[in-house]
Amino acid sequence: MAEQDDIPQRARQHVERIGAADLVIGLLAGSKDGEIGAAVANVREALARISSSVRSVVIYTDPALEPAAAEHSPVEEDANLHLLSYPADPAATPALTTQSTDGPYRAVFAAGEKLGARACGVIASSLDNLTSNWIYWLIQPVLQLDFDMVTPCYAHRTFEGLLNSSIISPLTRALYGQRIRNPMGPDFGFSGRLLHRYLGTAGGARAASRLHPLTWFTTEAICGGFQICQAHVGIRSHPPTDWVNLSSVLAQILDPLFVDVQHNAAFWQRTRGSQSLPTFGASVSVPEEAGAVDVRHLIESFQLGCRSLQEVWGVVLPPKTILELSRLARLPADRFRMPDELWVRIIYDFALGHRLRTISRDHLLRAMTPLYLAWVASFAVEIESAGAAAAEQRLEQLCVAYETGKPYFLSRWRWPDRFNP
Amino acid sequence: MWVQIEQALNQSMIRVLNELASLLPGMAALILAVLVSTLVAWILAFLLRLLLRGLQFDERLARRGAAPSLIEWLPQNSPTLLVTRVVFWAVILVGFLIGIAAFDATVMSKPTIQVFGYLRNVAAAALVLLVGSFVARFLARSVLIGAVNLNLQYARLLSAGVKWMVLVLVLAMALDHLAIGGNIVHLAFGILFGGIVLALALAVGLGSKELVSRSLEREASKKPIDAEERLRHL
Repeated sequence: MAEQDDIPQRARQHVERIGAADLVIGLLAGSKDGEIGAAVANVREALARISSSVRSVVIYTDPALEPAAAEHSPVEEDANLHLLSYPADPAATPALTTQSTDGPYRAVFAAGEKLGARACGVIASSLDNLTSNWIYWLIQPVLQLDFDMVTPCYAHRTFEGLLNSSIISPLTRALYGQRIRNPMGPDFGFSGRLLHRYLGTAGGARAASRLHPLTWFTTEAICGGFQICQAHVGIRSHPPTDWVNLSSVLAQILDPLFVDVQHNAAFWQRTRGSQSLPTFGASVSVPEEAGAVDVRHLIESFQLGCRSLQEVWGVVLPPKTILELSRLARLPADRFRMPDELWVRIIYDFALGHRLRTISRDHLLRAMTPLYLAWVASFAVEIESAGAAAAEQRLEQLCVAYETGKPYFLSRWRWPDRFNP
Repeated sequence: MWVQIEQALNQSMIRVLNELASLLPGMAALILAVLVSTLVAWILAFLLRLLLRGLQFDERLARRGAAPSLIEWLPQNSPTLLVTRVVFWAVILVGFLIGIAAFDATVMSKPTIQVFGYLRNVAAAALVLLVGSFVARFLARSVLIGAVNLNLQYARLLSAGVKWMVLVLVLAMALDHLAIGGNIVHLAFGILFGGIVLALALAVGLGSKELVSRSLEREASKKPIDAEERLRHL
């Protein structure tokens, strides 16, 4: 059940005064001047396309807001739309690669549960690119088509969202059997039923295991048999990753992902194949940037890793894989190709190594950085001038390789000592 | 004369046997104390685990924002398990100490006391070596992975340097515990460490100033900024 503790003290009184609502929308990204006004206008526009009688509450976090002023709202409310501001907790930001906390999401869920909401939309992306379409497609399938979860499809360039394209999405697809483009959102639409599950024992156990909420929202919905769909929401902007911190980014994202894989082992071991999901909205194409991607440094990083980290990789990777990596390191840049089967086996072996805790998990995941850069370089060399459609096709090929490699993962997972090619 | 020798041998044998016999009740008390404390520890840990699970201790701690880095080190990421294990081993330790106290120091001869006293040092030195070698390997691996990810060509050298510095420090500490070498170890260790630090300082400050700055500039310029501007990982 929803815990009162999850809703900030002042906001709790406001929630009690509102009483009930059909829809709760949480805007989790810190808002700048004027952004909340624009976001609320978008919410009104989206709601007008659905029905005029949907009672809604928009919850937003305001970094500048003192807890005592939590009831102040910069936008005019009406009978069907209330505004609720939470003082932002600087330690609890929901974006990827930050401290693992489910606080902001739980606060919105708890308000939704308390108000008896049928649907809940959570937008954690920056509000810069937020449109009424974005909000509409996140909540309409839940409110009108009885879906339990809407996951986002973002429009992006070929070389954006690489971590999702290379690991998160294909791994989720192969293991859980659902072709979800962005399993880790971070923007979602949820049904009241799903909120109840998240706030119940399942959510409590996940919170206790320190999993980042973005890693388990989708898998919990899949394992619970909830109806999931996708929606094209638009272009999501994300600041470039700091090159020096790439290994930290990898560790912060892959650690909870692999913990979740371990948590759901009983489910995914029974799952075979994959199925596509109903997808709503129209995809938007983003113009590609001109010029070649310089992959020399990526390859050099991989070659250095290959020379120096074999001892660490050897703890989790079988000799055959190490041999293939050594061969790959000798290839010139123009012929640098990492076969999908090799990359898939590496990911599966690292997931297994993470489970077995053969070495410190942080070391293990950080040691993956040169391998990931090798995949990025290989992908960039192969797709360089091929265009967005070809890139899409190439990523689909990778997803199929993940599915084909699943029996290998199953065997290693079940008999890690006996099955070691 | 043979009679006197025989008497002397008999007396010494009787003395040793008497000393051993006087140790037996203490031994039995030690074993009993450890067995009873293990049983008590198991019951206490079991009850505590039930209580903490009932109170949803892990969930509450997680919501209160316990440091994730700390929790990563806990057994199976569970604070409940950590608390129960601490209680379990603490009770056993108390039982062991009670058992040890059952030995009456007065019944032991001086050499026996000295041997027991030195055994404590040997155990401490072994523990220092064990923990030290673990720390050395851990730090060496951290440095190696960090340096490779920063694209430093001399990553292996750095890692080996860290490993051996920690090992030398640990070895000196272990020898100090064993009271072997005395001041020579202190002196040698001081000279060795001081020498390394001085050499590095001179290398960076004087002799290799330009070499080091060129190396750092080269590494800095290696950042694939042009590639990274187009490559977005998230």
